[in-house]
Amino acid sequence: MRVVVAEDLFLLRDGLVRLLEAHGFEITAAVDSAPGLLRALLDGRPDVAIVDVRLPPTFTDDGLRAALEARAQVPGLPVLVLSQYVEQLYARELLADDGGGVGYLLKDRVFNDDQFIDAVRTVAAGGTVMDSEVVAKLLGRRAREEPLARLSAREREVLELMAEGRSNSAIAQRLFVSEKAVSKHSTSIFAKLDLALSDDDNRRVLAVLAYLNA
Amino acid sequence: METRNLMTALVLMAACALAVWLRTGFGRPPKSPRGRAAEVGWCVGLLAIVLTIIGQEQPGFYQQYPAVFAVPVAVAALLVLQPRLAFGLVPAGLIFLSLAGLVAARDYGFWSYIPGHFLFLPLGQYSLQYYLVLPLAYGLLGLGGWLGWRVLDRQAPVIRLLLGPLSDPARPERLWGLLLLPVVIMASELLIPTDFLGAGTLGVVVSLVVFSGSFWFIRRHPELAGGLATGGLVVFGAAGLWIASAWSSWGGPLRTAANQYVLYGAVAISSRPLASVAIAQSLLFIGLGLWLAPRTIPQTRRLLGWASDPDLLSRVQRLTESRAVAVDTAAADLRRLERDLHDGAQARLVALGMNLRAIERLIPSSPDAALALVVEARQTSARALTELRELVRGVHPPVLADRGLADAIRALALDTPMKVETDIDLPGRLAAPVETACYFAVAEVLTNAVKHSGARDARIAVSHSDGLLRIMVTDFGMGGADPARGSGLAGVERRLASFDGIVAVSSPVGGPTMVVLEVPCASSLPKISSC
Repeated sequence: MRVVVAEDLFLLRDGLVRLLEAHGFEITAAVDSAPGLLRALLDGRPDVAIVDVRLPPTFTDDGLRAALEARAQVPGLPVLVLSQYVEQLYARELLADDGGGVGYLLKDRVFNDDQFIDAVRTVAAGGTVMDSEVVAKLLGRRAREEPLARLSAREREVLELMAEGRSNSAIAQRLFVSEKAVSKHSTSIFAKLDLALSDDDNRRVLAVLAYLNA
Repeated sequence: METRNLMTALVLMAACALAVWLRTGFGRPPKSPRGRAAEVGWCVGLLAIVLTIIGQEQPGFYQQYPAVFAVPVAVAALLVLQPRLAFGLVPAGLIFLSLAGLVAARDYGFWSYIPGHFLFLPLGQYSLQYYLVLPLAYGLLGLGGWLGWRVLDRQAPVIRLLLGPLSDPARPERLWGLLLLPVVIMASELLIPTDFLGAGTLGVVVSLVVFSGSFWFIRRHPELAGGLATGGLVVFGAAGLWIASAWSSWGGPLRTAANQYVLYGAVAISSRPLASVAIAQSLLFIGLGLWLAPRTIPQTRRLLGWASDPDLLSRVQRLTESRAVAVDTAAADLRRLERDLHDGAQARLVALGMNLRAIERLIPSSPDAALALVVEARQTSARALTELRELVRGVHPPVLADRGLADAIRALALDTPMKVETDIDLPGRLAAPVETACYFAVAEVLTNAVKHSGARDARIAVSHSDGLLRIMVTDFGMGGADPARGSGLAGVERRLASFDGIVAVSSPVGGPTMVVLEVPCASSLPKISSC
């Protein structure tokens, strides 16, 4: 799987490259600025790009903007955005085109390499991955509203993990329950929120996120 | 006659001694020898003045023995019973004597056939001492004024009542207005014909009207009176120059006193040499007027570059205050940052280092225990990162740095646990300090709304027009927010004060609560708030 890495700090870039190579990814480009990233994305068309939000030349959100620009030209180009901070505002912008193949994670998540690699693969496969912090904020804003308030505690946990982009099996593993139980919970959640149930993981994430973002 | 005068003098001396003895015996004893000498001086002064006034006004008075005794005893009694009033009478008596001198100067002259006197000066035909009357009179006026100034407690109820707005201790410059009195006196002396100012009932009535009218005016408009006194001195000086230089052997251009003298200030002009003295006096008046101008007329102060535009002064005052607050806030923020770093991320990194060292030792002997420690180390580093993230968000939110105020407020609205609509119309980026101040102000207002209003919806409108940044935060909650209570809004106010910003709150009971923040962005001070 061909990967582009965009990170301006050498230590982190190097660490990411090693981690990804150790898991069998092929690094086609490791760049340290937004213009370099845009070129690598448009010319190289990688299977997935891992992008730091803050990049030269202005050290603001250049990385994010380059990724959005590339996705505007190549719809669905899978991009996993990493940042020291997660902002709902940026999450919305990434999700705006409904194309899938988007991830938005805190840099800390790299610590847990298994989950991180999973996330990279999900995004590369056109799935959606949201940081648990973004999801917590989304839920926090609307927790008091109906019908979210009607969800049970366990249903809410399942909803959070669904919004982060996890599959039923991953959720089951995480909550130490059977996949069947998770599936039951998700059916109940979708009924309560009045959403159309879908077997496709990505469509399910997008539906949940769209609901929370509304 | 001689014996009688001697007797009078002896009686007076005895009365003085009696008064002083009574005063120091019964009154509060003075603390120092200097104080005692001053007491004696005041007693003697008062007696002398009272006796002189009576002698001046009632020439035959001391021919009667009972009066000679009665007056000193009355004065001594006054000194003992009402010492403050008695001391206050000294300057008043001096001023009265000076006015009597002015009248005498009008009534007599070098060629006057009628004999008379002023104090100890015999006046009448060929008495050169006549020319001393006016200097003496003005000397007494000056002495009386100076003593009154020194002695009178300007905060005493009677004096305050008398002086009115003049006695305001915060506005000492108002007292310059009192200078209008001597100016009026000099002008009356020069301009009002003898019959209307001086001897006779008409003279007394006119002078009473003129002087009490002037005093009423001074009391009512102290600043204007000060300006008039200043202008009056200059004009009066210029008039003196004209009168004196127009003087010839035929006489001067004006005739005011009955005896063909022109009474100009302390000089009774009747010849060329005296006219020269008058010229010197005119120059003195003009100089005094010019010296007074910046002290009594604020406009001239600005003209001279002494610069104290009141607007400028209050602006300087406000800037000084807001700068002090800004510096304090910055220092407190830095202290908080240091403490947070010290107790948070720094401590975690120390723990991390210790963990790693333990792992290093454990790996050869017990790899399982080492593995557990590695997990712990990873968690510690994750916690350190979380803390650092929160810290940075409190110092300078990333979206604000990345995108500016508009998107930062949008992000804030998204992060607020209620539905917040935004309507933001900003032309571009504002100056970074203004953005930060406004961002934290909005954050504080929103936090307040979440905590206290019970609202489910809020609205933020941001607009920028005519150099004014206007942020309106409305929550549709229960209202009744009191800006005076709680420190949240006061903090917002302080934060914005550094940029001349203001905060207005409208929160009727039942809602909605509306907080308006306004910051001038194209202000006159581009360094502070250029947007």
